Amino acid sequence: MSASTSKQNLVPKENLVPKETLVMEHLVSLTYSEELTPVLDRYVDALIDGRIVGHKCPSCGRVYVPGKGYCPICVVPTTAADEIEVSDHGTLTGFTIITPVAYYGQTETEPFVYASVLLDGSDSNLGGQEIVGVPHDQIRSGMRVRAVWKAKTDRSAEGVSNRGWGSVSSVIDAFEPSGEPDMDRAKYEEHIF
Amino acid sequence: MAVTDIAVVGYAQTPSSRRARESEVQLLVPIVTEALQRSGLDRREVGFTCAGSCDYLTGGPFAFVSNLEAAGAWPPISESHVEMDGAWALYEAWVRLQHGDIDTALVFGSGKSSPSIPAEMWAQQLDPYYLAPLGVDPASLAGIQARALLDAGKATERDFARVVVRNRRNAKDNPNAQVAGDFSVDELLAAPYVRAPLRKHDLPPVSDGAVAVVLARGDRARALCERPAWIRGLDHRIEVHQPGMRDLTTSASTTLAARKAGYDGGPLDVIELSSTFSPQELILRDALGIDADSNVNPSGGPLAANPVMATGLVRIVEVAQRIVEGTASRGLAHATGGQVLQHNLVCLMEGD
Repeated sequence: MSASTSKQNLVPKENLVPKETLVMEHLVSLTYSEELTPVLDRYVDALIDGRIVGHKCPSCGRVYVPGKGYCPICVVPTTAADEIEVSDHGTLTGFTIITPVAYYGQTETEPFVYASVLLDGSDSNLGGQEIVGVPHDQIRSGMRVRAVWKAKTDRSAEGVSNRGWGSVSSVIDAFEPSGEPDMDRAKYEEHIF
Repeated sequence: MAVTDIAVVGYAQTPSSRRARESEVQLLVPIVTEALQRSGLDRREVGFTCAGSCDYLTGGPFAFVSNLEAAGAWPPISESHVEMDGAWALYEAWVRLQHGDIDTALVFGSGKSSPSIPAEMWAQQLDPYYLAPLGVDPASLAGIQARALLDAGKATERDFARVVVRNRRNAKDNPNAQVAGDFSVDELLAAPYVRAPLRKHDLPPVSDGAVAVVLARGDRARALCERPAWIRGLDHRIEVHQPGMRDLTTSASTTLAARKAGYDGGPLDVIELSSTFSPQELILRDALGIDADSNVNPSGGPLAANPVMATGLVRIVEVAQRIVEGTASRGLAHATGGQVLQHNLVCLMEGD
């Protein structure tokens, strides 16, 4: 990034030097590699099989998708014994329409949607979901959506990582309107993310 | 004058491992729970929570936020985070307790070094103009420090190996250690250099792990723990960032922190030092004025287990545990941050 005008104003005029002596490019690349946690390992196996599985807290009954291996509200461990399947239909609880800025590594060029989807049977949202089949100006909170699954042969574990909020992009392409009436706000307002 | 009736009343740590498959927060959940249970404190009663971890290490922005789930952050709690070893989280909690309006605190430190390439990642801790672009890693800097020590005539490679032999032998009694066993000095000196004059055994293992501590003050501490480990003094001091601008064969900040923490050179039953590379134990002993026959790193220290971001807080736990269990009356724990002992913390603890 080049020195901005406002930055230059902070430097006394007599001290100004040509831009090329002020700027040093230093792109940093850091490598991380790790196996999926055992909980996510099971989660992704089920996903590839076409099932969305979460963990149900044995104490409060809240369902997390994907499972975390514990309930963050009760601080009790959850295990494979607490697995529960949820629906691939859900409610769009919140969204952002992003106009991409050409920063280093950005591949998007057109405005796109990042939406949070609360699947039926889950208490936690899937974040960062793409919404298709509806113009951007008609996307709204409360809209009912369903998963657009990849063909079984195209699914992989690639999009699921130990970081972030449980992306499903290598198994589910996007969510599309299901045509059901909008969800009553009171039913999802405690789950907005 | 600092308050001196704040104590460690509960603790727990994970075993250190080369690669834990669980997430960092999954490592934390059982030990935070265990530390609270050991102290008998309900997590809803905790007055303040402070954590230490490193997002660069985890490899995710705001990774520290999910770690907080191990403390149960709903309904909302009063908490803070330091991008530092958990020992500095304990420092913040200790300062917070001195306000006097709360009497308990929960502290934890956690780190998984296994996903990253530590040599690549830690170079980013250095200044972005000269050293970071060179990719100078911690082991290379420690090698320069070791060379300076040799050149100054303050130590020999044999001295480095002796430190390793003792720490690995001590680690045999530590169920949380990752590297332990009986080795001879000659056997170690026969190994090739990895960063001359350092050999692989002079370096810490790459570790994943976590540690948690419960602090309490005054009568609350006495109620929660039969024999609290009272923090009699706690201080940290930092030196210039650029390693080339200081004498790497000494640790002036450790000496100063120890003095400010009230360490008077008196007898210590147990000393735990964050001597991440073997020569650093010699530098720290010298900085603290500790005799050669003192009980240094009975746990095996960071050469036996180095869960970065927890390593320093583990030192405090190793000392506190011995006081709580009654095998020690007075001890000193040391934590370090930055490269080649840039930033140092000293914690002086006593039993009743």
